[in-house]
Amino acid sequence: MLAKRFQPMASHARRLYVELMFQVMGRALQAISEVDSEVQREARTLPQGFLFEMMVMPNGSKLIVEHIGEGRFHYHGGSAPRPMDVSIRFKHLAHAFLVMSFQEKTAVAFANDRMLVDGDVSYAMRMTRVLNRLESFILPRIIARRAVKEYPENLHLPEKLISAAQIYLKVATHFVQTARA
Amino acid sequence: MTKTYYEFFCPVKVIAGKAALEHIPYELNGLAAKRPMIITDKGVRAAGLLEPVITACEESGLDIISIYDDVPPDSSTTVVRDIAAIYRKEKCDSIIAIGGGSAIDTGKAVNILVSEGGTDIAKYTGAGVLKHPLKPFFVVPTTAGTGSEVTSVAVITDEAKGVKLPFSSSYLLPNAAIIDPRMTLTLPPHITAATAMDAMTHAVESFTCMAKNPLSDAYATAAIKKVSQSLLHVMDNPKDSHGRLELAQASTMAGIAFSNSMVGLVHSLGHATGAICHLPHGLCMSLYLPYVLEYNLETIREPLGELLLYLEGPEVYAATPASRRAEASISALRSLRDALYKRCQLPRTLKETGKVTEDQLDPIAEMALDDGSIMFNPKEVTLTDARAVLQRAWA
Ligand SMILES: [Zn+2]
Repeated sequence: MLAKRFQPMASHARRLYVELMFQVMGRALQAISEVDSEVQREARTLPQGFLFEMMVMPNGSKLIVEHIGEGRFHYHGGSAPRPMDVSIRFKHLAHAFLVMSFQEKTAVAFANDRMLVDGDVSYAMRMTRVLNRLESFILPRIIARRAVKEYPENLHLPEKLISAAQIYLKVATHFVQTARA
Repeated sequence: MTKTYYEFFCPVKVIAGKAALEHIPYELNGLAAKRPMIITDKGVRAAGLLEPVITACEESGLDIISIYDDVPPDSSTTVVRDIAAIYRKEKCDSIIAIGGGSAIDTGKAVNILVSEGGTDIAKYTGAGVLKHPLKPFFVVPTTAGTGSEVTSVAVITDEAKGVKLPFSSSYLLPNAAIIDPRMTLTLPPHITAATAMDAMTHAVESFTCMAKNPLSDAYATAAIKKVSQSLLHVMDNPKDSHGRLELAQASTMAGIAFSNSMVGLVHSLGHATGAICHLPHGLCMSLYLPYVLEYNLETIREPLGELLLYLEGPEVYAATPASRRAEASISALRSLRDALYKRCQLPRTLKETGKVTEDQLDPIAEMALDDGSIMFNPKEVTLTDARAVLQRAWA
């Protein structure tokens, strides 16, 4: 209660930020899986209908994607059609904020016990690699370096620019479509 | 690499040293347990390791109610269900697991079923599913390596589905780990060597991987020092109970270290190699350790250099310039492996195992990338990197 009285805005802002980042990442994940062969290669071995979620404990924001086959992801927003196959759960909003604002690398967050993984570990590892790839695509290089352990070598600037543009374009389209629907 | 945040947890009572087994009745009594069940394997029984435990209990008027001695090397859901049924039928109230990794994991899984109820252990797989403490559970390790007596995880194979079910909860930790040198005195040389190198790898990876923290560091360095000082001595004097106890304690300390800071690429490669080529875990650890350290070298130069003190002692450490210490640590581990190869042919390369073919390297690399421990490796590992490490470890 006390904390609430003192910092209502800070907490609210972090919640909104994490929510927004989940939306951007969810849409970007769908978009990147339509253009990037590396992501498709990783995703292809996931079962069709495989559901992945990132969420903030206990009942906070969620990012849910489904592998719909051939390495493509479909973004479900915050609600799922079935129980999850793999779930990555942040223990607290503050921890999700650290990761989503790129102050703490995903691997460091794992090492710091900031989140729990539930489900098949090998699939979780695969999804982590997909998320790393996604972050290096959609973020400016300097921020991406903070977010992932190592910036992929096979991501050259022109390719990155083109792909990022493609992804932003797709993200924008998805936003528009969602707004209309 | 300074840690901005960490967690450390080890509530296991360690009962170690001479006549440690004789403390079991008193400790069980302290938990109001009167009807213990022993879970073990045929090898332990054949080595005559059950007698001292049973005698220690009987002399204090405590009867062992039931003994299950048929745990297979890869424990399964069926075995767990069968043991739980016996436990219930015999109205046992506590478990003593005696053995290596498999017997201990089986004990943990049986404890879930008999405490939470039901016959389907698969229901409890995953992290943080358990919400209550389980029945009194003691572990008596008979190998000095896995550290399972102080880890909060268990892996059980679901034979029907052909998958390995992981269980993870702090409630899986035993109430007590009993480390008695009598239990490892008869370990054959190649198992002594391989399991001690597993403990060494737990400590080295714990000290050099991403989740290292000041508390796990203290346990890791102490474990490395003990293995370095005692392993070759025990190889040459297998009946030396002081040396055996040193190795057993090192294994427990390394277990405490890595269960609080995780392991890295050596274990990712080792798990994959174990699954594909059916090589013992400790052997794989010893084999990959120097190659992985060389791969990680520039990321872990500082902590790896520090380890020279524990691997070679203060004289060598002081005489080695700071800029050369990391390489010297790798050399120290390499010469330890050479010494072990001389004594019991513990393989140093994949070729020397005689059980791996070159066309298996790619599947091993692919599988290693999907192993959970790779997340904590200090340096990012791509498929190409994993292949390169395997190629170097080939011959
Ligand atoms: Zn190990």
